[in-house]
Amino acid sequence: MSRTKENDGGWKKFVWNSEKKEFLGRTGSSWLKITTFYIIFYGCLAGIFIGTIQAMLLTLSNYKPTHQDRVAPPGLSHTPRSLKSEISFNVNDEKSYKDYISSIEELLEPYNEDLQTDGQNYEDCGADPQKYRERGELENGQGKRKACRFSRKWLNACSGVGDNTYGFAKGKPCLIVKLNRIINFRPRVPTNNETIPEPITSKVKPYLIPIYCKHKRDEDEGKIGEIKYYGFDGEPAPQYLQPLVAVHFTNLTQGEALRIECKVFGDNIDYSEKDRYQGRFDVKFTISKS
Amino acid sequence: TRKFSSTDTNKSFLDGLTNARAAEILARDGPNALTPPPTTPEWVKFCRQLFGGFSILLWIGAVLCFLAYSIQVGTEDEPVNDNLYLGVVLAAVVLITGCFSYFQEAKSSRIMDSFKKMVPQQALVIREGEKLQIDAELVVLGDLVEIKGGDRIPADLRVVSSSSCKVDNSSLTGESEPQTRSPQFSHENPLETRNICFFSTNCVEGTARGVVIGTGDRTVMGRIATLASELEVGQTPINIEIEHFIRIITGVAVFLGMSFFVLSLILGYTWLEAVIFLIGIIVANVPEGLLATVTVCLTLTAKRMAKKNCLVKNLEAVETLGSTSTICSDKTGTLTQNRMTVAHMWFDNTIHEADTTEDQSGLGFDKSSPTWAALSRVAGLCNRAVFKVDQDQVPILMRDTAGDASESALLKCIEVCCGSVRDLRDRNPKVSEIPFNSTNKYQLSIHEAEDNPAGHILVMKGAPERILDRCSTIMVNGQEMPLDDMWRDSFQSAYMDLGGLGERVLGFCHLILPSSEFPRGFTFDTDAVNFPTERLCFLGLISMIDPPRAAVNVSQRIQHVIMVTGDHPITAKAIAKGVGIISEGNETVEDIAERLNISLSEVNPRDAKACVVHGSDLKDMSAEYLDDLLRNHTEIVFARTSPQQKLIIVEGFQRQGAIVAVTGDGVNDSPALKKADIGVAMGITGSDVSKQAADMILLDDNFASIVTGVEEGRLIFDNLKKSIAYTLTSNIPEISPFLLFIIASVPLPLGTVTILCIDLGTDMVPAISLAYETAESDIMKRQPRNSKTDKLVNERLISMAYGQIGMIQAMAGFFTYFVILAENGFLPWSLVGIRIMWDDPNVNDLEDTYGQEWTYEQRKIIEFTCHTSFFSSIVIVQWADLIICKTRRNSLFQQGMKNRILIFGLFVETALAAFLSYCPGMDVALRMYPLKFFWWFCALPYSLLIFVYDEVRKYILRRCPGGNLSSAFHQGCGNPGC
Repeated sequence: MSRTKENDGGWKKFVWNSEKKEFLGRTGSSWLKITTFYIIFYGCLAGIFIGTIQAMLLTLSNYKPTHQDRVAPPGLSHTPRSLKSEISFNVNDEKSYKDYISSIEELLEPYNEDLQTDGQNYEDCGADPQKYRERGELENGQGKRKACRFSRKWLNACSGVGDNTYGFAKGKPCLIVKLNRIINFRPRVPTNNETIPEPITSKVKPYLIPIYCKHKRDEDEGKIGEIKYYGFDGEPAPQYLQPLVAVHFTNLTQGEALRIECKVFGDNIDYSEKDRYQGRFDVKFTISKS
Repeated sequence: TRKFSSTDTNKSFLDGLTNARAAEILARDGPNALTPPPTTPEWVKFCRQLFGGFSILLWIGAVLCFLAYSIQVGTEDEPVNDNLYLGVVLAAVVLITGCFSYFQEAKSSRIMDSFKKMVPQQALVIREGEKLQIDAELVVLGDLVEIKGGDRIPADLRVVSSSSCKVDNSSLTGESEPQTRSPQFSHENPLETRNICFFSTNCVEGTARGVVIGTGDRTVMGRIATLASELEVGQTPINIEIEHFIRIITGVAVFLGMSFFVLSLILGYTWLEAVIFLIGIIVANVPEGLLATVTVCLTLTAKRMAKKNCLVKNLEAVETLGSTSTICSDKTGTLTQNRMTVAHMWFDNTIHEADTTEDQSGLGFDKSSPTWAALSRVAGLCNRAVFKVDQDQVPILMRDTAGDASESALLKCIEVCCGSVRDLRDRNPKVSEIPFNSTNKYQLSIHEAEDNPAGHILVMKGAPERILDRCSTIMVNGQEMPLDDMWRDSFQSAYMDLGGLGERVLGFCHLILPSSEFPRGFTFDTDAVNFPTERLCFLGLISMIDPPRAAVNVSQRIQHVIMVTGDHPITAKAIAKGVGIISEGNETVEDIAERLNISLSEVNPRDAKACVVHGSDLKDMSAEYLDDLLRNHTEIVFARTSPQQKLIIVEGFQRQGAIVAVTGDGVNDSPALKKADIGVAMGITGSDVSKQAADMILLDDNFASIVTGVEEGRLIFDNLKKSIAYTLTSNIPEISPFLLFIIASVPLPLGTVTILCIDLGTDMVPAISLAYETAESDIMKRQPRNSKTDKLVNERLISMAYGQIGMIQAMAGFFTYFVILAENGFLPWSLVGIRIMWDDPNVNDLEDTYGQEWTYEQRKIIEFTCHTSFFSSIVIVQWADLIICKTRRNSLFQQGMKNRILIFGLFVETALAAFLSYCPGMDVALRMYPLKFFWWFCALPYSLLIFVYDEVRKYILRRCPGGNLSSAFHQGCGNPGC
């Protein structure tokens, strides 16, 4: 016990030594000096750091990152986002799918036609997929480049125009799918038709990147029902509005967890074992009705 | 004995015990052996390795990790396993280093054990009237034991009969002179009386019979050994240092942890998240690799010392010798050669110096004088010592002899100067002799002289004054001169001179017995003495000493060397002067009194730097007086000290705050060896008990080896400091990413796995290589470390490592991190606050600054690439750190890059980093990704900055040490070592 007391005294003395007027073992002037030193030191260090960062920034392009090997091939992302790739809701409970609807709403907001009226920025590229429009190199900054218009209406039943619940209220949910944007990345149409699953081979058009969803587990076969695809995925404007595809699950079996995998096909689109969102995604639907 | 023989007749007493009785006593008393000091069970030793000192810090870290992990498991759906891994790794590190040092120490103790496994001692006992050779362990109380020259005494004996028996009590009392043993009861004190022989001392010559009066632990030796094992042992200095270090580290860790705990709460993190952060920060402060580094460094030094004949029993003792401020040395054997050697001769009225060096490199003297011829003849003839056989190859001075120490010295001296003594004796056969005894104090023999074909020569040696009394003439330059007062005076002054040197002086004389009176065949009767023993011709004096070892000259050393011996004060003082314990020009009170011709009481004791203290005075001294004595004298010799007194001396020094090393070989030293901060036992002459009590063993018994130990100890302290500074520095670039992650919500720049790769991977070899660093300046010219102010880790080292170099390193890491993210599309300012989205696996279209969209996995790969590059940056800045840690004051250009291991370390570190980055499969195993070539160079400017900054710092320190030029600079980054 006496030892701990001694230590306490030692600590107190260490914190404030009234004899030598020392705070934490140093006098005031000593603290001042050391603080000055560190302020100068860290000031210089910060200067050097900012200097090197600035130098690094000078080497970067304004339009295109130096390396793109990590971001390509692109991912395929869907809205609404699922939590652990699961979308579950109750048809009769508006609250259970409110978040899904609002996230789709948010995504489609920029695609409203009244926002694309400015002729300076947009041009009509037609509703059918076409060839890429060359708009020159990124680096030559001759004014603004135009982007293709993408009308929300092209998404038909999933455009939210007629049904602002995007099918959720009817148990026929829509997923808006887009290929992740990568600067200067142009998806190429599949040249090898064999890789494309049979049901959509008939639908393949030139300049179109096909997307196809099917059940993931064999036992779910037949429970998915018809899937409708609206909009198109291909030949997009490189910068402004990404082309979207709405996947409409019109006849999902309810009250059961269904796993669905969607895949996009293209010559320069790849899939990875580890990255489940690269060129494909899977999602689990659980629709209940009560 | 009376107890046992009261009912027996004298006859039955001489028959000894009956076998049955002996067995009975053996069963009652147990075997006649010292109880070994309670050996710590192996598992306790192991646990001590596992939980001692530094390991505690790591254990706490591990426990905290598991705690954090269980919190995460309880609260999160998909907990990150980092904390679990970290905890497991921490525990593994402690276990592995624990095992390592355990086996290391086990190895040294195996060497120790090999000492113990000597041939089991045998004893000759008389039981039932028969002589039996039995194991010494089976000797019991009351046994009648017979001993002879060369035997080790099996138990405490009371001598009942003896014939010219002499024992060597040096291991018990420290007296180097063999002592006579006889049945005569001569003193109240059992240690002084003639009729008791002590267990484990040696019988040098003669024979004796004795009754066992004590066995095993009940012997005098046993009691001393018990005293030693009961002593409490203090902490080793390095242990104290490590504790201090742990305190600092813990302080820093808790301070950082708590401030960020508060900060993260302010920033809006939940309580649990804040707690996880708190634990994470505290654990991140634990230098995982340091325990292993320190252990390996100490082991390397221990090995190096073992090569130089210093065997260290306890790893931590490696450093102790370096911080030792006071060495209490035994005289015999350590400081001296432990063999009597002829040092001086006085003949022809001149003192001649004999060569006492070990390798005969000293000067010779004029051997042409006829007096020398006569003197050497007497010394050779009147001498019973002989060389043991089969030693023709051995240099004369190294040969073993049978006989008294001083006679052996004379024998060797004559053999060296004048050729074979055996031939001399053959040419002058001995006809009669009177051996030395304590009443007449001389020894004489009569030989048939070769130069006197019909007659004899009487030769005599003995105590000089007794010899002189018997002489009437003196030989000077071959001429016999009458021994008048002038010669007596010059004899006196020569005798005083030699005696004052602490040497044992013998006088020599001879007498040619004329053939007329004593023809060949004359029967000399030594009892009736029918020949003259007076009016002889005095030849000269020969003095002997146990000379100091050649390598021992402590005078240049800063350490306080104190001599503690059982010898006489005069001898002790002479040796002390010889080896420089009392340096030239320093005087004792007595010397001053003599020089100024005043009485002792008039001398101011403050004037005397040196002092010789007699053991019996020590007994009466109060602790305060002793303290005063130790404080005010730098050069002290303790003579005639007993084991308890040695203990008092050691404690006295420890009260002064000194770190005391004690050397010793005898059992009597063992309490002091144990009590000392480091006990140094002698490997050859040392007794088992002393080796048990010691922390270190000098395999060659040479005091000079201690110097090696001191040197290595100091070096390892310096180098450990460098290693620690090196290892600690990388702590800042390891912690700061996590801090930035918390504050700015950026993607985590450095992960747990990569931190471990640095601490337990790339940093290891370079940190260890610093142990091979050579000393910067003459390490032995420095004052010993002041254990109160010169710490292993002090605030300056922390300020330097954490506050300055560490910060530059962190900047290097962050720079690389920002470069990689920027080049991939995430510019620095867009990272702030991105954390929630970044770490959300459901967000697969996170936009970067250029508008590209990233899936979760793609982001994570880029994040882990950042970890890898942050890691590689730390490796690159650690290059510079290693180079600046090499020296504390010197510039690299002064010190050079001679440490090959260090260069090797640089390469290993780099190769390992490249391997971890590029080896296929690492992305799965450790989540480390290949770096683009250019990314390796991002940290290079910072590496250069560290080097230049530190060179400038050292330059300023060298130019104005402690100067006022820029006081702030000194405050902030003064030499971390000072």
